[in-house]
Order: sequence, then structure tokens, then C-alpha cells
Amino acid sequence: MENVSVLLEPVRVFLAHLGDFLPRLALAALVVVGGWLLARLARVAVDKLLRAINFNVLTERSGMDAFLARGGLRIDTTAVVALLGYWLVVLAALVIALNGLGLTTITELLGQVVLFVPKLAVAIVIVAFGAYFARVVSGTVVTYCRTVGMQDAEMLGRIAQYAILVFVALIALDQVEVGGEIVRQSFLILFAGLVFALALAFGLGGREHAADLLDRWLPRKPDGGGDAGPKA
Amino acid sequence: MNSPAVNAPAPSTTTTGDPHWYKDAVIYQLHIKAFFDSNGDGLGDFKGLTSKLDYVKDLGVNTLWLLPFYPSPLRDDGYDVADYHNVHPQYGTRADFRNFVREAHRRDLRVITELVVNHTSDAHPWFQAARRAPPGSSKRDFYVWSDSDDRYQGTRIIFTDTEKSNWTWDPVAKAYFWHRFFSHQPDLNFDNPKVLKAVVRSMRFWLDMGVDGFRLDAIPYLVEREGTNNENLPETHAVIREIRALLDAKHSGKVLLAEANQWPEDVREYFGNGDECHMAYHFPLMPRIYMAIAQEERYPIVEIMQQTPAIPEACQWAIFLRNHDELTLEMVTHKERDYMYRMYAADKRARINLGIRRRLAPLMENDVDRIKLMNSLLLSMPGSPIVYYGDEIGMGDNIFLGDRDGVRTPMQWSPDRNAGFSKADPQSLYLPAIQDPVYGYQAVNVEAQSRDPGSLLNWMRRMLAVRNTTRAFGRGTLEFLRAGNRKVLAYLRAFEGEAILCVANLGRSAQPVELDLKQFRGRIPVEMVGRTAFPPVGELPYLLTLPAHGFYWFRLALGSEVDVPRWHEEVLAREDLPVMVLFDGWTSFFRDRVVPWRIALAEKTRLQLETEVLPGHFQPQRWYAGKDATVTRAAIAAHAIWTDAKSKHSWMLGLYDVHGAPGTAPERYFVPLALAWEHGDEERMKALGPAAVAKVRQQANVGVLADALADEPFCRRLLAAVRDGVDLPAAGGRFEFRPTQALAGLLDKVDIDTLPVARAPAQGTNTAVTLGSRLFLKAYRRVQIGANPEPEIGRFLTEVAKFPNCVPLAGTLEFVPAHGAPSALALLQAYVPNQGDGWTHLVGRLERFLTDCLRGEAPPEGGHGASAELVRTLGRRTAELHAALALRSGDPAFDPEPVTDADRAAWRKRVHDEAIESFAMLERHRSQLAGPAHEEARVLLARSSDVLARIAAAGAGGGAALRTRIHGDYHLGQVLLARNDFLIIDFEGEPGRTLAQRRAKQCPLRDVAGMLRSFSYGRGSALQQAVQRPEDAARLEPLAADWEREMRAAFLEAYAEAVAPAPVYTAFADARGLLELFELEKALYELRYELRNRPGWVRIPLTGVLALTHHANDGD
Repeated sequence: MENVSVLLEPVRVFLAHLGDFLPRLALAALVVVGGWLLARLARVAVDKLLRAINFNVLTERSGMDAFLARGGLRIDTTAVVALLGYWLVVLAALVIALNGLGLTTITELLGQVVLFVPKLAVAIVIVAFGAYFARVVSGTVVTYCRTVGMQDAEMLGRIAQYAILVFVALIALDQVEVGGEIVRQSFLILFAGLVFALALAFGLGGREHAADLLDRWLPRKPDGGGDAGPKA
Repeated sequence: MNSPAVNAPAPSTTTTGDPHWYKDAVIYQLHIKAFFDSNGDGLGDFKGLTSKLDYVKDLGVNTLWLLPFYPSPLRDDGYDVADYHNVHPQYGTRADFRNFVREAHRRDLRVITELVVNHTSDAHPWFQAARRAPPGSSKRDFYVWSDSDDRYQGTRIIFTDTEKSNWTWDPVAKAYFWHRFFSHQPDLNFDNPKVLKAVVRSMRFWLDMGVDGFRLDAIPYLVEREGTNNENLPETHAVIREIRALLDAKHSGKVLLAEANQWPEDVREYFGNGDECHMAYHFPLMPRIYMAIAQEERYPIVEIMQQTPAIPEACQWAIFLRNHDELTLEMVTHKERDYMYRMYAADKRARINLGIRRRLAPLMENDVDRIKLMNSLLLSMPGSPIVYYGDEIGMGDNIFLGDRDGVRTPMQWSPDRNAGFSKADPQSLYLPAIQDPVYGYQAVNVEAQSRDPGSLLNWMRRMLAVRNTTRAFGRGTLEFLRAGNRKVLAYLRAFEGEAILCVANLGRSAQPVELDLKQFRGRIPVEMVGRTAFPPVGELPYLLTLPAHGFYWFRLALGSEVDVPRWHEEVLAREDLPVMVLFDGWTSFFRDRVVPWRIALAEKTRLQLETEVLPGHFQPQRWYAGKDATVTRAAIAAHAIWTDAKSKHSWMLGLYDVHGAPGTAPERYFVPLALAWEHGDEERMKALGPAAVAKVRQQANVGVLADALADEPFCRRLLAAVRDGVDLPAAGGRFEFRPTQALAGLLDKVDIDTLPVARAPAQGTNTAVTLGSRLFLKAYRRVQIGANPEPEIGRFLTEVAKFPNCVPLAGTLEFVPAHGAPSALALLQAYVPNQGDGWTHLVGRLERFLTDCLRGEAPPEGGHGASAELVRTLGRRTAELHAALALRSGDPAFDPEPVTDADRAAWRKRVHDEAIESFAMLERHRSQLAGPAHEEARVLLARSSDVLARIAAAGAGGGAALRTRIHGDYHLGQVLLARNDFLIIDFEGEPGRTLAQRRAKQCPLRDVAGMLRSFSYGRGSALQQAVQRPEDAARLEPLAADWEREMRAAFLEAYAEAVAPAPVYTAFADARGLLELFELEKALYELRYELRNRPGWVRIPLTGVLALTHHANDGD
């Protein structure tokens, strides 16, 4: 009998563990299911909210939706942000559930992902506004240049647009903390290079013009050496 | 409902029983001796005049003024009276005179005679007694005597050509006697009270004979005082006041007309405070009318009228162009007189005293236009006009006769001997008739001119008839309009809310003029002679062009009285357009289409569009149905932004729920809008100006928001979309453009992009556009949910029945909502060149016929043969239409159904109910009806039970076999005349009914009844247009009734014959009972409509109902 009880002890312990674990698993499952439901709700809510404030118009006008469509995505930016909301809630629920199960490593990993999702959403919003702004500036530059009769209005507009877009992209990247230092450095190098190139171009191309200007601003004094009267 | 352009019934002025009758008088001045000789003694007489009273009455005047007919030596044409109480034997007897007055009064003509009291003939018993009476005696003092001829030195001599002094020595009296005129006309002495007594006695004598007034001859010279010029003395006025007081005491309604050839401010004194003369001549106006025409400059007339003082309320000016005296030039300056002599009396023989002894026609060199212009001025200036006998036919004069006899020659009645004036030997006439080739009686006479509809005589009759339609000419105020063109005289005559605009071109060439009529904005000028409505007065100066010496009289009618001409289109850009600031084109109106920070602005812009801009645009539109209710909001119910990829133009197709009076359901309207910007699209923006809804601005760019149906690219794009069968998704549904089979043929070899687009005349609730000479686009403004019968029937007739006499349907535009039935928005039809609708053509023809009859022209042979032939064609086409609609095609919306007894019973019941409603309404409104309508209403109400019995029995004969789709609103306005054939248009049905009612299958007899009623309206409308005087009506009514009878017969005969092969009726002849029922139904409907809306037209349906109750099948 004792042998039997010895033999049965692990089973009993196992069952005791199981009895201890099963409610927690059930709870975790409940949390996940609840979270999933909540996530679906959140997705709809975010989508509705963003559309109510015409965020979709903004992303459409900024060209992001078209960009996404070209990339093969069937949904627009607003839906993407709503999807992010969905995943945020789903992941948060998973973190809670897994934490409840005591799976700390996975929890930590997921926790980092959870923290990343809002940053991504914010980055998308930044890009949306930035891209719209870039378009507006581009439009304004083109209209202005056309009215004052400058050639290459279109090109100037595009330069302005892309310049702003680059800044916006950097801010967004900064926001999601991707690339970090290297992106910043490379931008600085690029920017410095551009400025230097412009300076050189103007300097070389406008050397004579600059000389004329300098002449006008700082007239050279008559050369008093040479033929001046005999030195006493 | 049929209606001509002008629907105000012609009022008429009548002077009977009015104590101020002289204010509306038109006076005909004549000489007994010159008018008509009844006894062949070479001199006119009272019997002759009496026999010609019908002529005078027919001319349109209402008062006769007779020159002196008293016993006299006739040394001054009777103004030298020898007996105040008798008739000169050569003119007849006192009994003849009494008879003449009675006959004149019987014709509503009043009689004014001469009261020559300043002087008598020297043959007068008073003078004969006075010259023998001892100085100082009462008898002697009947006249003014003096021992010397140097008293009253400051007095001018009037007849400068014959008299040297105002004093003449009388060898019998051994004293000088005073005379202001000829030396055989001694002046009476009004300082002697017995003189006044004697004068009053003779006045009473003639008043008792029935005379209605006196012309007081030479009235300023009654009393003499030393040291004055002996004219207009206060003592003279005192005498006149006494005469007036005695007149008023016993003889009210009689009139005193002062002859005072004085400046207006002096003449004004003769009205006193309304206690002297009732009327006085406006002498200075007359030469200035001549001067204005000679100088082609309005200044003389304007100037003299501005100097004319106001006169007491009960007084009136008498105005004239010519009279029995010379055209006096006393009341002009020396320079003006020289000018007048140069212009009008280059021949010195034409001058006499200070004037010109010629008639009107020779003064105008027989230029009919100028004669008419002069007369138009005479008839429209303030005052009662006087027409001198003979001037109405343009008689000439004879300057080879002495004194002023040249203008006193016999009236020219006919080309017979002595101008038809007398049967006497030509040598024995008192004066020879005019015989020269231009003015001689062979060329100018009443008989010839009566027959010539375009003659001066008939023109005068028409003008006098027109003048008699209003009191504004006689009693109205005068206001000159300062037109820029000085050759044009424009003035307003206004009386009791009525305003008449007179415009006259004084120049010898055509002249334009722009008139500032802002105070009458919205009124519609109706030319009074032809009663044609002109475009309404708007914001801009009113532009008129007048032919050489042309003139117009316009009644400025209120918009509620008269319809704007149908072809008129308001093309003025509204100046007070609201301005909208758009930040993003069309999307500025939609809050869900703008970036987040613009949402509030978009909502505000939308609100401005819906509550300010669109209501302001909708309210004045002709297609807007809720005329009386203010539009509070036009809410966008469905819309689509439609962009043309090629031209980059974009439009907003929108349906609007228009909210009117509170508590009423909103109505839906279709208004496509276009946006055009100054920058880059300036031409299009300007073209859209007249249709602009608002001005818009987007940053520095300005533009207009306009009705897209005025936008050519839009109309072309719409056509292309119909051709391609486009589906345009919209918020709330989709817009469906669909072609029919006919479109491809119509667009064969047509380049849509170059198709000319023109706005067609508006048609009530629709807007129409023509595309080249190919297509006709008709946009329904008011949107009704459900299938519209017009495209439905159009498609059936074009594609299924292949009915050739309708306009082929080419395509449709419908709005199909996400849930619910579609609504038709626009229709594309083939464009068919035509000569206008049947109403304009047939009724216009009848109107011309009636006018011709009035002018005395014999009705043309064959009566209304041409019209009847057309109407026969119409009957045939109508029958063919009904046969086509009775085709069995398997389409349940069209397949005919048999007429059952239940149907007939239901029809009878409906008409019965409507009859009871109509009678109740007639009873309520009867007291407001005037004239014959009142009596007819009484007769109808008395006969109401007969009508109901007839309704109960109607249709027993059967006849009608099928119920089919029908036209539903069939009348002469719904058929177009093209190449002597008819096209049937407008299958929309009666606008007042619901779509379901209009689509119901009915008895085709309804259409037949509608057309028969239309003939009745045509008759009434033509009569109203043609009748200018009440007495014309009696003459024309039977002629118009004949026309209607003839048209009905022609229509029914042709219809019956052509409809026989179709299974519509078992036998058309049996269906007459039902036809009568439907005709009655229609007439009762019209009766209710007219009672509610146009009481002046009630007689037409009223006589219609009465006629239907008289005969079972009248006139067929």
C-alpha cells in the first residue's frame, strides 16, 4: 500500500500542481479572450474616432493611402492605425495573461513590443501630418513661383516637398527609435554635403559676380605705389 | 391652364352720372354749317348733325362742342350774336336743336355750346336800343361808351390785321363804343348789373334745353378799368364767380370752359378756388407741341408743363392741336414765333393776326407719322383733349379763302359731289369743299377711310378706344422722365395706383432711349394699343427703340396682373449676390471631406449655402413652386461631384430639400451647380454670370457658383454621359444616364464638343436647353419620386408604338436612391423645328380675324377654312395618339383595360361631387362677380339640379371600350405646329396631380374634352384681346362663338373618322354622352380654378358649363 502511495505521490503532486495551474490557465484564457474582444472594440472605436475627425481625409490628401495601396495594402492608413490599436490591446492582454501564468521572459519580450506599438502609431500620425504639410508647402511654392514667373516651379516645389518629407521621416524614425545615432549622423553628413555643394556651386559659378559686388561695396583704393611722384 | 400674355380685362371709362365727367371728356369740336347739310341748301344744319351722331359716337369721343349757331349777321362766323335765345334759321329751329340734344344724350354724348358774352353783334336789339337810349340810361349802359377814343390806352388790339383801334364812332349814339374784337362787335358792359342778369337768363334758357356746358368766349375781357391792360381784371373774375354760383345753385354737373388765351399762371386764375370755371384751355402748350416736333427736342413741352401751376381738384385743362381759329402764337416769345412762322408758315398767306391759319395735316405736310405723333401727345397730356372736326381724317385747308374760312370748309364724307356734305349745287355751298389733289375730298374722306383698316380715321378710333380704357390720361398726375436722348419725350401718367408710361420720339429718325424706371421695378409694361406685354422693368435702365416719330403708351402692370412674355429670360447678373469663401472647391461644403482643422469652417460654409445662398436663388425662380412661402433652407439631400477629366471642369449634381412655410413638408428640387474661376476660366465665368447663384472666392481667385444648366460644357457633358449610359455614384444613391435607341441616330456624325448650346424659352416648372438643332434637353426642377409619365410615355411611343407625331425621346437622367423608387431629373428629346404651339397660332389667327372685323373689314370668304383644316389634322393626330396608346404590348403599365360599369359609375360620382363643390364655391363668390358673369352665375345656380341630373344620366349610351394611358393635360398649348402638321408634346400630365394619378389608365375622351375646352378658352381669350370698347363685345361675341363651333365640329369629325379603326370605342358616336361628362368635369375644374385665381376669367368656364347644360351635344 505504501509503495502504492509512494508511486502515487508524484501523481498527486502533479495533480495538485495541475489543480493549482488550471484555474490560472483558465483565467489567462479568459483574459486573452476578453482582451481580444476588447481589441476588436478598440479597433472599431479608433477607426470611427479617426474618421470622425477626418484623419482619413488627411492621409488621403497627404498621399499616404495611395502609397500604401501601391505597396499592395488593401486598407488605408486610418485602418492601419486602428489595427495597431487592436494589436496593442491584444498584446496587452497576452502580457497580462502570460504574466499570470508566470512566463516572465515572454512577458518581458511582449512588454517591449507593447511599448513599441504606440510609438509606431504616433510615428504614423507624424508622417501623415508631415506628408500633408509637405504637399501644402509644395503646392504653395509651385503657385508662388508660377505667379512670379519663375521657371522650374514644379521642380522647386518637389524639392521643398522631399526636403520636408526627409525631415518628417527622420522625426518618425526617431520616434520609433529605429536606427538611432546612425540615421542622425548620416543625415548630418548628407545635409552638410548638400550645403557644401551648394556653397561651392554658388562660389565657383558666381565668382566674378561676387568680385564685382565686392568691388562695388569695397572699392579698391587707387594704387598709390608705382607712378606716384618722385619721393622726396 | 391656357392664358394669353395679357389677361387684364379692358376697363372702360364712362361719364354717365359723374359730376366730374369733364375730366374724362374727349371733346369733338364742330361747326353746324360745316358738318352735314340735310336740306340741300349748301349749309349744314342740326338735322344733318343729328343724322351723323353715330359717326361721332363711333369715333370714340364723348362730348360735342358746337360753335355758335345763334341768329347773327355772321360777320365773325357767328361770334357776333344777334339773339341769345334762338337758333339761326339756316341751321334749323329750336325744336331741331332740342331733338339733337336728345339724340346726343341717348348716345351718351354731352353737348357744350358757346356763350359769347363779352360782346354782341351790332345788330343785337340791345345795341340798337343802347345807341338810341339817352346817355346814362340803363339801356345805354348795356355797352361801354365814351366821348373820346383815348380812354383805356394801355389795351392791346387783338385783330391787328383789321382793326386800328378798340374804339369805334357810332354816328347814331354820337359816341365811341368799346370793342376788343371787330368793330361790329361792341363789348357788353358788365358794370351794369342788368347785363349779367340778361346773360344768366340766356344761360338758363339753354340749360333747360339740355345743354351740358358752355364755352365762355373771350372771357378775360369782360370788365374795363382805366390804367390797366383790361385783361384778367379782378372785377372780371368776380363776374365769373357770380355766373358759377348761379350755375351751381340750380344746375349741377354742368360745366364752364374758359377761353382765356393767356399764360398758364394767368389762366390759373380762371379756376379760382374751384369756384370759377371748371375747365380752361391750355393755350401755351399747343404751339410748343408743334415747336418740339419741329426742333426735334422735348424742351419746349417739358418747360411749359413745368411752368403750369397746379389747378384745383375739380378743375381740368382743355387741350387741343387745332381749332376753328388760327394756330395762335400769342403765347410764345418773339423768337419762337419767328421760328414757328419759318417752320410752319413759309407761305405768308398762311399767316393771320398772330398765328397760322392751317389745319393739322397740312401743318404736318401730310406726314401720317407726324400727325399720329401729334395726336398721341394730345391724347396723353394732362387735360381733356379736343379734336377739331375733319382732323380725324387728316382734312386739308384752303388758304385762298379769306379770314379763317380756310379751316372751316365742309366735312368730307365721301368722294361724291360736295364731298357728300350737301346735295346742293357746288356754287351754293357756304364755302367750297377742298379739292386739291392731296387733301381734296376725292382723296380724303370718311367713306374711304372707314373701309381702310390702316387709315387715320380707324387709327384715331383705336387710339380713342385705348384712351377710354383708363382714367389716368384725364385725371392722372404727370411726371417727366429725364431720358438721356433729348429727342425722346417720356412721361408718366399715374392715377390711383395705375401708371402709364408714354414715350414719344420727336425725331425724324429712329431713336433709342434708356429710361430710369427703377421705381417700377418688377412691373411689366404692356403696350396699350396691341396689349403686348414687354419684358419686365429691372435694375438696368429700360431700353426702348422708337421708329421715326414713333410713340408708345405702356400700362405698367403689376406682375400679378400680367404674365411676363414667355420668351423673356432674365439675363441680368444679380448685383447683390452673396459671397462665399471656399477653401477647397466643392469639398468646402462637406465636413467629412476636409482636413481635420477645417471641419468647423466646412460646416459654416454648408450652412451659408443651405440657408442663405440657395434660398436667395430659389425664391425668384419661375420653376420654384412655393411662390408665396419664403424659402428658409435648401438642404442637400443627395449629391455627386462630377469632374470632367479632359477639361478639369467639375460640377455638383445636387438634389435639395427645400423648406418653405413652417409646417409644410419640404419639396425636392434638382439644381446642378457649376463653379467657374476668373483665373484660368474667365470666359466661362462671364458666361455663367446671368445664372450665378453666388460669388465665390478661394484665396486670391474669384469666381461664380452658378446653375450648371447655363454652362455649355455641362450640357455637352450631360449629353455625352447619356450617350455612354453612365452611372454616377452619389452620396445617397446614384445618377443614371440612359440613352434610348433614337439617340444614336440623332448623334450620327455629330461632334458633341462643338455642339452649340442655347437656353430655350423657359416652360414653367422646367428648364430647357437646345443642343444644336439636334436635341432638346429638358430638366425637371421639381423632383417627384416614382416613374414620371413623360419619359415613360415618350419611350413607349418612340420605341414600342412608333408614333410619328410625338417628339422622339432620346435619353433620360434619373436619380436612383439607395432605397426607394427612382425620380426623373431630365429628359433628352429630339429637337423639332416648329412654328410655335397650337394656341399661339390658332388663337392669334382668331384674334386678327376679330380685329379685322372690328375695323369694318368683311370677314374673309370661307370663314376659318385654314384654321379648320389645321384643326382637322389635329383631330386626326389625336385619334392616332389614342390608337397608339391602346396598343397591347405586354407592358402592364400600358396594356389597355376594358371600361366597366363600375368605371362609369365612378366617373359619374366624381363629376357629381365636383359639381356640388363647384356650385358651393360659385355661390360664395357670386357677389364678387361683375357684369354678365354675375347674371350667368345666377342662371347656372338656378339650373344646378338640371346639371346634376344630366351628370347622373351621362354615359348611359356606353361607347367607350378601353381605358388606356392618355395625354392627361391636353390642350392647344401642348401641340406644336410644324409644316402644317402637329406634334404632340409634354406627356407630363396635369402638374397638380400625383404621379400615380397621372399614370392611371383613363378614358381617352378626357383628352378630347380637354381640347374642346381649349377651343372655348381660345375664343374667350381672343375676344378679350380684341374687344377694346364694351360695345365691340356684342358685335364680336357671335363671331367668336361661330369660330368655336366650327373648330369643335372640325376636330370631332376628324377624330371620329380617324379613331374608328382602333378598338378604343365601340362606337364614337355612342360615346358623346361620356364626352359631355368629361367636358363638364373639365369646365367645372376650370370654374373652380378661375374663381380662386383669376375672377376676371370666370366667364369662360361659366359660359362653357351653361352651354353644356343647354344642349346635349351642342354644335357637333
